[in-house]
Amino acid sequence: MSDDTILLGAVAYDPKVVTIWEGIRDHFRAEGVKMDFALFSNYERQVETLLRGHIDLAWNTPLAHVRVQKRTEGRSISLGMRDTDRDFKAKVVVRKDAGIRALKDLEGKVLAVGSRDSTQARILPLHFLAKEGVDVAKAKLLAFDTDLGKHGDTGTSELDVLKALHDGRAQAGTVGDLIWTLEQAAGRVDPNKVEVLYTTPGFDHCMFDAHPAADRGKCAAFQKALFAMKWEVPEHRKLLELEGLKEWMQPREEGYASLRAALTEQAYW
Amino acid sequence: MIATLAIEAGDLPLGGGLLALVRPALLLLEPGGILAVRSSAASVVQDLPSWCRVERHRYLGYEDGRHLIERGSLGAPRGAREWGYRLKKPSAAEVVRAVPMPDTANADTGFAPRGARVEPGGPRYPFDLLERDRVAPPEVAQLYDQAVAAQWDVGRDIPWDTVGEHDPAIESAVCQVMTFLAENELSALYVPSRFIARIHPAYVETAMFLSTQLADEARHIDVFLRRARVAGGGLGVSSVTTSRSLLSLLEYEDFTEAAFVLSVLGEGTFLDLLRFVEEHAPDPATAEIARRTRNDESRHVHFGLAHVRHALSTDPTLFGRLEAAVRRRAATLHDVGGVPTPLQDSLTLLAAGSTEPRAVARGHEAFRALLEAMHAARIKRLDRAGFTAEQAELMSTLHTANFM
Ligand SMILES: [Fe+2]
Ligand SMILES: [Fe+2]
Repeated sequence: MSDDTILLGAVAYDPKVVTIWEGIRDHFRAEGVKMDFALFSNYERQVETLLRGHIDLAWNTPLAHVRVQKRTEGRSISLGMRDTDRDFKAKVVVRKDAGIRALKDLEGKVLAVGSRDSTQARILPLHFLAKEGVDVAKAKLLAFDTDLGKHGDTGTSELDVLKALHDGRAQAGTVGDLIWTLEQAAGRVDPNKVEVLYTTPGFDHCMFDAHPAADRGKCAAFQKALFAMKWEVPEHRKLLELEGLKEWMQPREEGYASLRAALTEQAYW
Repeated sequence: MIATLAIEAGDLPLGGGLLALVRPALLLLEPGGILAVRSSAASVVQDLPSWCRVERHRYLGYEDGRHLIERGSLGAPRGAREWGYRLKKPSAAEVVRAVPMPDTANADTGFAPRGARVEPGGPRYPFDLLERDRVAPPEVAQLYDQAVAAQWDVGRDIPWDTVGEHDPAIESAVCQVMTFLAENELSALYVPSRFIARIHPAYVETAMFLSTQLADEARHIDVFLRRARVAGGGLGVSSVTTSRSLLSLLEYEDFTEAAFVLSVLGEGTFLDLLRFVEEHAPDPATAEIARRTRNDESRHVHFGLAHVRHALSTDPTLFGRLEAAVRRRAATLHDVGGVPTPLQDSLTLLAAGSTEPRAVARGHEAFRALLEAMHAARIKRLDRAGFTAEQAELMSTLHTANFM
């Protein structure tokens, strides 16, 4: 990019995305950092655009993040993540009346799963179940392939999974712990009908990825302004709530190994 | 691990009531404090760590049937928790003694009542009256308690059946006086209302007092208009002198300046006017109306004086600013005609009691004496507020011929 404005890509999975990034752009301006954003309708297009160098950086799902790293042979630059992106877990939730006592009992049952490209509601829970010795092919998958291209950002497919469990169309289902916790905390889960059978090991979620050739000064300026956002500042808090975090964190890479393994195993790179 | 606080959660699942015990318990802890949750629910072993992750509390583990949680720091409400109050005979004055008003207030706390712990990061509110010494004199809560106890009912408390039949000229004079009073009461309703929304809720007792004042003024408007229409008369004339004078009141942006000009000077002058009406009322109902409204007004004057005196005692530069406020108003009004003539004539006839020429001459004397009494009483109030004799003389002389 020739000018000194940082151009960031984000996927418009919801109208609130415009509010979020316009708000963050205002905050960056107040910090003396010029930033603008381009919105994409899906992560595949965003990743291609980043790899061509038409944007400086992208706010990526874990799936998009590991794909960028693979395509750049590890030369892309990770800049930051949400606190909620660390130690994400997935849950296998079961109906209490389904007689499922152990993971093996899932075989032969209807297992509701989220979108094909949802890390937390499909890719990783199925990966970890296989690792635990479950023959996933023996379960009857009830798949909610909604919002493909959004990598599970909308949470729609996870809510569909919970709904299918509540009304008995499925005996088990996979969801991320964020949706599971929020739905429970809001009183929208019936504890008489459903409960958690299994929690996966932790994995990390979204990441800001910069193009390998991105200007290092821009990357540093981006991080400085990003980490200056504070939960206790009213204007920041509104944006952080919308984006689902309390604090921006430094990047870390150790939380993506399980996803890479799952993508290889499921031939989904 | 030693817990700061422990709760018994039985077999409650996270989504089935557990949080109703956990969340209030965490609110009692400072960041870093440890909560032990004794739970026999198997699902909680899975769900509680996830909930802690999302809420940024640290889940420390499960030992001896207890989950241990370290309270996170994000979003922790600020301030000390209120604890152990047992108000004896709860009154606003006792509440202020127990929970004193802060010297200054922070607009970020919004409508949170004084004493509540406030979660940080809330939106900023447009309150701009943020200093106790400019908003809330020490006696405000006591005045509020008195005002609440002194409310009266226009229908019940005025002996309406005593109005009777008067000489049409006298009844017409009463109606003109009532018209004038109601018009001025409208300004006394509108002017303080503009400031209530600007007062920080830390000084809510001032907003509460002003709301009793608004209720008083509403009642005054009502009672004066009823009196004008109860005995065959009807409303009289509204003068440009009055209209100009009241608009200038509405234009004050500074709370203390407005309180000074409206309450100390304007409502103060009205005390003498209402006493005059009571003294010369042609029937007991009209006298009772004047007496009761005057009682209310003296409370408004009392609060205005307390407000101004307290502000002056903490900021001596205010003397000059208040004097300038009076001068500015006088310069825009430049009353040349004196007291609005319909009012002047009505007060004269009211005091005369008839249209007989010798009685009218006495009425005219009474009116002149009223103007002198108003001037003298204003000077006394200005003196009590702390102004010098010269300042008081000047400001009283410059005061509007409209009385308010
Ligand atoms: Fe009044
Ligand atoms: Fe009043």
